[in-house]
Amino acid sequence: MILQATGVVVRYPGATDDALAGVSLALGAGEIVSVVGPNGGGKSTLLRALLGAQPLGAGRVRLLGRDIADWSRAEVAQQVGVVVQQEGPAPGLRVADAVLFGRYARLSPLASPSATDHAAVERALARADVAHLRDRFVAQLSGGEWQRVRLARALAQEPRALVLDEPTSALDVRHEMELFELVAALRGEGLGCLVITHRLNLAARYADRLMLLHRGRVVAEGAPAEVLVRERLSEVFEWPVAVTTWCDGSPQVVPLRPGEDQQPSAGPRPQEPE
Amino acid sequence: MGGFITGTFRHLRPVVTVLLAACAAPQGSGPIVLAGDAGDTVRLAAPAARVASLQPTTTELLFAVGAGAHVVGRTTWCDAPAAALEVPSLGDGLNPNLEAIVAARPDLVLLYPSALNAAAAARLGELGIAALRLRTDRLADVPRLARLLGRATGRESAGDSVAARFERDLAEATTRSPEGPAVFILAWDQPLTTIGAGSFLSEVVERAGGRNVFAELASSAAPVSLEAVTARDPALVLVPSAEVRDTTIRPEWNVVRAFRERRIIYLTGSEYLRPTPRAPDAVRALAARLVPTQ
Amino acid sequence: MKPRALLLLAVAMIGALVVGLQSGATWLAPREVLEGLTDPRAPGAAIVRGLRLPRVLLAFLVGGSLAVTGAALQALVRNPLADPYLLGISGGAGLGAVVAMALGLGGIFGVPLAAFAGALAAVALVYRLSAVGGRPLDTNVLLLAGVVIGAFTGAVMSGILAVSDASQLRSAVNWLLGGFGTAGWATVGAFAAYAALPLALLWSAGRSLDLLTLGDEPALHLGADVERTKRLAYFCASLLTAASVAACGIVGFVGLVVPHAVRRIATPLHRALLPMAFLAGGSFLVLADAVARTVVRPIELPVGVVTALVGVPVFAVLLRKTLR
Repeated sequence: MILQATGVVVRYPGATDDALAGVSLALGAGEIVSVVGPNGGGKSTLLRALLGAQPLGAGRVRLLGRDIADWSRAEVAQQVGVVVQQEGPAPGLRVADAVLFGRYARLSPLASPSATDHAAVERALARADVAHLRDRFVAQLSGGEWQRVRLARALAQEPRALVLDEPTSALDVRHEMELFELVAALRGEGLGCLVITHRLNLAARYADRLMLLHRGRVVAEGAPAEVLVRERLSEVFEWPVAVTTWCDGSPQVVPLRPGEDQQPSAGPRPQEPE
Repeated sequence: MGGFITGTFRHLRPVVTVLLAACAAPQGSGPIVLAGDAGDTVRLAAPAARVASLQPTTTELLFAVGAGAHVVGRTTWCDAPAAALEVPSLGDGLNPNLEAIVAARPDLVLLYPSALNAAAAARLGELGIAALRLRTDRLADVPRLARLLGRATGRESAGDSVAARFERDLAEATTRSPEGPAVFILAWDQPLTTIGAGSFLSEVVERAGGRNVFAELASSAAPVSLEAVTARDPALVLVPSAEVRDTTIRPEWNVVRAFRERRIIYLTGSEYLRPTPRAPDAVRALAARLVPTQ
Repeated sequence: MKPRALLLLAVAMIGALVVGLQSGATWLAPREVLEGLTDPRAPGAAIVRGLRLPRVLLAFLVGGSLAVTGAALQALVRNPLADPYLLGISGGAGLGAVVAMALGLGGIFGVPLAAFAGALAAVALVYRLSAVGGRPLDTNVLLLAGVVIGAFTGAVMSGILAVSDASQLRSAVNWLLGGFGTAGWATVGAFAAYAALPLALLWSAGRSLDLLTLGDEPALHLGADVERTKRLAYFCASLLTAASVAACGIVGFVGLVVPHAVRRIATPLHRALLPMAFLAGGSFLVLADAVARTVVRPIELPVGVVTALVGVPVFAVLLRKTLR
């Protein structure tokens, strides 16, 4: 067990409701856990709470068994790599230097980066498939390239766990799929991956476990097929949906247009009329 | 850092020498002690032979007491007497160029007592050069400094006679009159600025028989409102600065009778810009111009 | 750290120091400068050692400190237009100096100490104001508070100057525009001893400053102690700027332009950027001071005028290159 949250309660000062009202989550090695849910449900708050960046009203968060408040920021960064939702590229910075930032948590203030650090950077660049961009300025990268560079930076930290907040929000189909494939490969290498995403269908296909978060509460948790149930989704997202099943067995959610068929169908509709 | 230490020793050495000389010398031929106007004191072993005068009044006074040949530096503003223009300019008096001063190898430097000149005087002291800060704001400063500079340059009797002549001439030229014309002194046009009792020019006006409508202001110069000027209804406007001329009179000032009727006296000459030995002449000339309006 | 850039800077530093020692009321040849430095009885010794050397050294230290401060503040507020006087410091220092001059506080250190006190008071006020808005060191609130305090102190200062007489006005203007005219060994020693710690602290926080430029959240997740770094940068920057203003008035453009130039030529990574900015800023200010006291001699131009006149075109060139 890498990250474990138990009964976490967070209330922002001046708010009438809890942002998180007793959420528990566990992330272990070699698995992908995906947190989904409507906007304002508490997903980003949960991310901050998990990383010790948010004071808790109640509950506990443990990293590798120890209370997260007992960890220094640098220590946390050595175990968990985070790619936040939005980060503007810094001007004048080259990709190789940007990825080197991932090693900073392991460097004492007066030391210089060693051969080990540079080797880790090279590995991370290769893994995220951005090695060919190493000398480019980050400000000149496309959205997808910048996303992968940030992922490389997180990998350079050599973490046990990755936390990705909406990693594909600005990516097209190809880059989206490439990123999720990469995350799946990393899961295969033993990393624990927590992915917060709007992409219900991709989460359904890649995640080992899903958590549906709504108004600060865990509405459902478990295998994708258990969580992505039509009635529940229609209620939480306040929009009628239908759920079909893809050939790999994962549930796929189809939001319905007004007046469309309300009854669930067993499989995908055939393309040509019979 | 080494320069600081040797600089300190160099500073102490002349003082020690002079003190020893003071103890050893017989009465009457002791060092010349000069007291400045910023609480500073300077001891000269002998009359100053090379003086850097960094304000116009002291430059003029040095020439007046016959020590003109000993002036080795002046400011760009020192334009009187004419002979002073032959002396090399060392720059500005309020932002002194220390290097230029040191290069002139003076044994006495005369500075105006502004806040920044305190640092300049201290630096010169560190470098072993006597620096004295002297105030030159009022008419009374002229005879006082004439005596001081006479002593400083070994021309005590000349200094005393310049001072005595000044005081006598000034008393003779003074024609204070209780019914003198009310005068508004226009020092600057943007903003409208007048001269208060703190300036020697106010005293010149009073001695010439006029009455400064803003004499209750203690400062030497102050911006005033057009309304205040109108309320005091001066009979005359005096303009001491060459930069303010007929063309700069603004239309809105015509609400003041003296401006409207163009009762303006333009003064030319540096004797109206600062206290000088020529002040008695300035008083006399001004009195003459004020008379026809009474 | 690009060795070529470092070599270039070292050469620039030595060149600037030599030119600085050569310049003044009279132009000295390098040989005379050397004689003046080594032989106390040489004709130019009094001028070189007593006047020019402390002045050149102070200009170098102040220029270097301002450049380092500018770089740190640009990281802190994540804005390339930040400069050391941003946080209300110049207003507070100017007010302190003008009040001291109006009250006739004399002595060598009267005006500088008052300026220093004014600067620190302004910093404390800005910090207090921005802490009211919730988390201290929210950079947007900090900037606003700095503008407000700057406006306030500026207004009071203008009020005092409006009723000052001509010589006080001239003195104030001269001081405000910056100059090294009365720099002495005491000032050099005090500044060097005082600035050493803040400079060292800023350098040691170099990597945290790198992370800070990414944003508060990414920096936090990469291991930076964000609040601590911000506080450190803010206070070291304030102390260095307050001391610089006390030493020589308000000298602009060094803190703004030099970090950008070094970033472009060398690196944006602060562990290398800060020392290089120090060398570049120091050399720049030494040269600017040399120009200020020779171009219309024997009158000395305020050094702030020269830095602006040079700084603006350099800034324009940099801006065009960055936007290319």
